Amino acid sequence: MKIVVCVKEVPDMESKFKIIGDSKIDESQIAFKMNDFDQYAVEAALQLKEKFGGEVMIVSAGPERVAKEVRQAFAMGADWGIQVQDPEVDAGDSFVVASALFGAIKTIGDVDLVLTGVQAEDDQAAVTGVMIADMMGVPHCTNVVKLDVDGKNMKVNRELEGGKNEVIEMAMPAVLSIQSGMNQPRYPTLPGIMKAKKKRLDVKKAAEVGCTAVGAAGSKTSFVKMFFPVSDHKAEIIQGDPKAAAATLVNKLKNEAKVL
Amino acid sequence: MARILVIAEHRNGALSEGTLELCKAAKAIASAAGAQPAAALLSKDGSLAAELAKYVPEVFTVSDGNLENYTADAYTQAVKAVVDAQDVKGVVIAHSYDGVDFAAKVAMALGCGIVSNCNKIEAQGGNITFTRNTYNGKIQEQKTVKTDKFVATFEKGAFDKEEAGGAGSVTAVSASISASRTKVKEVVETMAGSVDISQATIIVSGGRGTKDKDKYNDVIVNLAKKLGGEYAASRPVVDSGWTDAARQVGQSGKTVTPKLYIAAGISGAIQHVAGMKGSQCIVAINKDPEAPIFNIATYGIVGDLFEVIPAMMEAIG
Ligand SMILES: Cc1cc2nc3c(=O)[nH]c(=O)nc-3n(C[C@H](O)[C@H](O)[C@H](O)COP(=O)(O)OP(=O)(O)OC[C@H]3O[C@@H](n4cnc5c(N)ncnc54)[C@H](O)[C@@H]3O)c2cc1C
Ligand SMILES: Nc1ncnc2c1ncn2[C@@H]1O[C@H](COP(=O)(O)O)[C@@H](O)[C@H]1O
Repeated sequence: MKIVVCVKEVPDMESKFKIIGDSKIDESQIAFKMNDFDQYAVEAALQLKEKFGGEVMIVSAGPERVAKEVRQAFAMGADWGIQVQDPEVDAGDSFVVASALFGAIKTIGDVDLVLTGVQAEDDQAAVTGVMIADMMGVPHCTNVVKLDVDGKNMKVNRELEGGKNEVIEMAMPAVLSIQSGMNQPRYPTLPGIMKAKKKRLDVKKAAEVGCTAVGAAGSKTSFVKMFFPVSDHKAEIIQGDPKAAAATLVNKLKNEAKVL
Repeated sequence: MARILVIAEHRNGALSEGTLELCKAAKAIASAAGAQPAAALLSKDGSLAAELAKYVPEVFTVSDGNLENYTADAYTQAVKAVVDAQDVKGVVIAHSYDGVDFAAKVAMALGCGIVSNCNKIEAQGGNITFTRNTYNGKIQEQKTVKTDKFVATFEKGAFDKEEAGGAGSVTAVSASISASRTKVKEVVETMAGSVDISQATIIVSGGRGTKDKDKYNDVIVNLAKKLGGEYAASRPVVDSGWTDAARQVGQSGKTVTPKLYIAAGISGAIQHVAGMKGSQCIVAINKDPEAPIFNIATYGIVGDLFEVIPAMMEAIG
């Protein structure tokens, strides 16, 4: 089985965010990591490989530093990967990124499954996997929490609101977006980390993977600006050291809110 | 006149609440864009059309056996059929599980831009600007669409529900819908559990900030017991197996409305907040002063939950 996993690098959401000129994040203040949901996708791919044999490829679009996240997936057990490293892709919208990832997937050829995370923690778009499926001309299923494979046929649980799942039958090739909790992503082992350093990572420009939709021109949406949310309601922040604050809080819950 | 077209969401013979919110959103977009709100009902037999027509001036139905269950393939064909047959400027879809499954496919089929997960719109000279959450709700961004048409998905709760009132027209759009490549077999319940936290009047809820199973038990479970309430959790806590799925609060878990909801080590992602924002009094304990949970809390303490919660236990006595 040939499985591609799309892995995105995102900021650690506990970083201190600063916005420069209402148009971008000050990246010098940010720690980066692998998108949480993508770890579950990598794990799902590795489990399929363990069961059915084959190869797991990682594709990622982003600047040079995202090689770190690709190598992390290698250390977990993925075989090799393609990094589309092209500022013109990074400057594009989800459609451009999906086009670049699709291009990379096409160069691999005869892929049975493409796995993505359900959403990127930074842009929270939840569109990339569906776009890739459409470009590939294959079916997709989003928010997958369970997967049974039998030859080319799959039984897939798609998560729904309020603790329900829809059970779906579909066939490969297909694109699945993987939801958190589907498995327990493994930690890279020391030998895994050593091996990862030597695994093949092809670095390509958009044009080299046949992707022509790039930059603002290739995008179907435009970015206007970013800002910190202004809430019309903010919590009453209770000041003081933990002991004093806790005592004040308990007092307020008893006597002001009257909920204790 | 061009239309802003809501794709109605329905299961088990009822429109979702989100659909009524979308009707409100479509009305707002339409008045800003010089268009008119409308809705599409994609189903086996169009039986909810009259109900839907109470909320928008025009309903278009696509009825086909292949639309009996929601599937991305069939829905995309049906939306495309309505857009091809009518003058549609924008398609408005819920950012729900089904919506996320087909919205981007519709955008691809129409060759237009999509702005997903929006919570607000603004119009500047007929140009529509969409506002959306990014970075786990810490930052918002605004986007516009470059193409003639657009697809937008909206967060649950972003708009109030449209009031029933009118009696819009219902027009059938003929289309032949081919069978989906995904086949729906059944819907199963996955969170059945021994506890029902939705009945609790006090809930102490722990997030990823509680660090591990032992610490979660130590602080969250113990404080809940001390207050005579129930303990609950955000999704990562359940994903990691620190507590049962039946105790998960949020979009994919339980909806709770206790008198008191204490959220400790929870950032306040929209999917979590969706399940607890109706609580009477919300306390947030988080070491990050910028955590979005403080935007919906009644009281907040910025600090280390492992110091604050033991101190609360002491203060309760
Ligand atoms: C389709 C979909 C459905 C989802 N459904 C749900 C759902 O039903 N319920 C749900 O909860 N989530 C759901 N999620 C996940 C959601 O997007 C968030 O990822 C999740 O809610 C984050 O959980 P958290 O706040 O515990 O973790 P994080 O976002 O990682 O936040 C941890 C917080 O703890 C704080 N912290 C860390 N250490 C300490 C300390 N010592 N003291 C005090 N504070 C500390 C940090 O500052 C941070 O704010 C869903 C996501 C998707 C895409
Ligand atoms: N730049 C990228 N490189 C690799 N994968 C990506 C990239 N952007 C998005 N993806 C994949 O698409 C999923 C959904 O992202 P999004 O549609 O941006 O929310 C992510 O979880 C990744 O698997």
